[in-house]
Amino acid sequence: MNDATASATQIAGAVRAGKCRARDIVAGALDRIARRNVELNAFTCVLDERALGDADEIDRRLTQGHDPGPLAGVPFAVKNLFDVAGITTLAGSTINAERPPAPRDATAVARLRASGAVLVGALNMDEYAYGFSTENTHYGPTHNPHDASRIAGGSSGGSAAAVAAGLVPLTLGTDTNGSIRVPAALCGVFGLKPTFGRVSRSGVVPLAWSFDHVGPFARHVADLAAAFDAIAGPDPLDLVCSTLPVRRCVDQLDTGIDGLRIARLGGHFMTLATDEALAAVTRVADALGARHEVTFPEVHRARAAAQVITACEGAAVHLDDLRSRADDFDPMTRDRLLAAALVPASAYVRAQRLRLWFRAQVNEVFGQADVLLAPTTPWTAPAIGAPWTTRIGGTEVVTRGHLGVFTQPLSFIGLPVISVPVVTRGSLPLGVQLVGRPFEEAALFRVAARLEADGVVSAPVV
Amino acid sequence: MNGGEPVRVTDADVDRLAAQIGLVIAPDRRAAVAQNLAVLLAAARLLDELALPETVEPAPRFEP
Repeated sequence: MNDATASATQIAGAVRAGKCRARDIVAGALDRIARRNVELNAFTCVLDERALGDADEIDRRLTQGHDPGPLAGVPFAVKNLFDVAGITTLAGSTINAERPPAPRDATAVARLRASGAVLVGALNMDEYAYGFSTENTHYGPTHNPHDASRIAGGSSGGSAAAVAAGLVPLTLGTDTNGSIRVPAALCGVFGLKPTFGRVSRSGVVPLAWSFDHVGPFARHVADLAAAFDAIAGPDPLDLVCSTLPVRRCVDQLDTGIDGLRIARLGGHFMTLATDEALAAVTRVADALGARHEVTFPEVHRARAAAQVITACEGAAVHLDDLRSRADDFDPMTRDRLLAAALVPASAYVRAQRLRLWFRAQVNEVFGQADVLLAPTTPWTAPAIGAPWTTRIGGTEVVTRGHLGVFTQPLSFIGLPVISVPVVTRGSLPLGVQLVGRPFEEAALFRVAARLEADGVVSAPVV
Repeated sequence: MNGGEPVRVTDADVDRLAAQIGLVIAPDRRAAVAQNLAVLLAAARLLDELALPETVEPAPRFEP
């Protein structure tokens, strides 16, 4: 087994079978991080000694005949937005770096560790998760493993880059407007944004309370499902966490796609994108035999409402610091948060009303299909330091903001989405979104597993 | 973003709005803040353009 390319599922199987030690697996991950993080800048903190100690504990439990869990010995890392006991939660900022260490792990981190996975470090991100590029001024940009001159995407850029480069097989990130799906697409890995309320956000620094989501990144569908199964479910520490029972997704991977109605999203999701981004969707649609097209109404307004709500809630979270110490914010974030604080309340209320209306319209469309296909981003990874605006199809758009043009309208109403990687030899990767009904992640995993089995999507280590 | 006139935000607009909520925008940042506020207000204008049924109420639901 090659540790750098092995899946989490393979690693856990080998560790549980006594074919290798968790310590050796974790030591291998730490070695890869030490060698490649200088180039990628994916990690902001590496927990060498603690990770090796945790791995030793896994090995000890196995020796004593105990089962350490389905992810035994699997190295993982988390966006530095998650609380990790004993470590200060940076949230990509220097302001939060002044805070004391977190007293306990975030719920999602604790659940992965309880499944036997071993935390090896924390990962780079846009300050306060308010961005799509991980060009963090304080901690430096994260570089895309496919081309180091390009962004990894954001805001969970470190989480995507670490998986794409084979440093670890599994990471956690967060997604408010696309912050899991955008970097997953640009780095060529799988990323899941679960239904809003399916995974606890307890112990995660908020960007926008009403649509922050926690989810995993992986290079294999089975790993993504195993991570989701480990972290999903009710949590009394997160008041918006649903009490609906969780359906195990690893059990769904071999069930095929018979009976699922799959359609392509048209309209907004076919415009202001490069030909290659649309071709990626066609490739996936053709492989699935998805010939039907459906549309959502007023998607551009839904996206606008998502922008307004994020801005207003984000500014509300940080208003005291914006008043007292604006100089300490990342310039990439500061001017946007300052502007956000000036948006009138009437716009926020109208955006929330549109959200309810839009959700009802989309529910109607799901009467015609079970899984919908759309591009994840409108183009491949832009260069680090790209200009403020870009022209596409004769329209000038905000370069970084436009990366979320296809993701924002979906997270806005909490739908579950998997971004699957479409990698063409000689080209930068792109992603395709598999979009489902609320709490129907299992259907998305069935489709993703089929696409992976057929070789339509894949995430090779780079 | 829409077919209407572009949203224009001046430095004076930024200062006036900021003062109302106790924010001080440094002079060298006003232009960037104005640019970002124009983007957000253009988004807000898109919301104004769509008439929603009066029955769409953004109210929480309390259940036992």
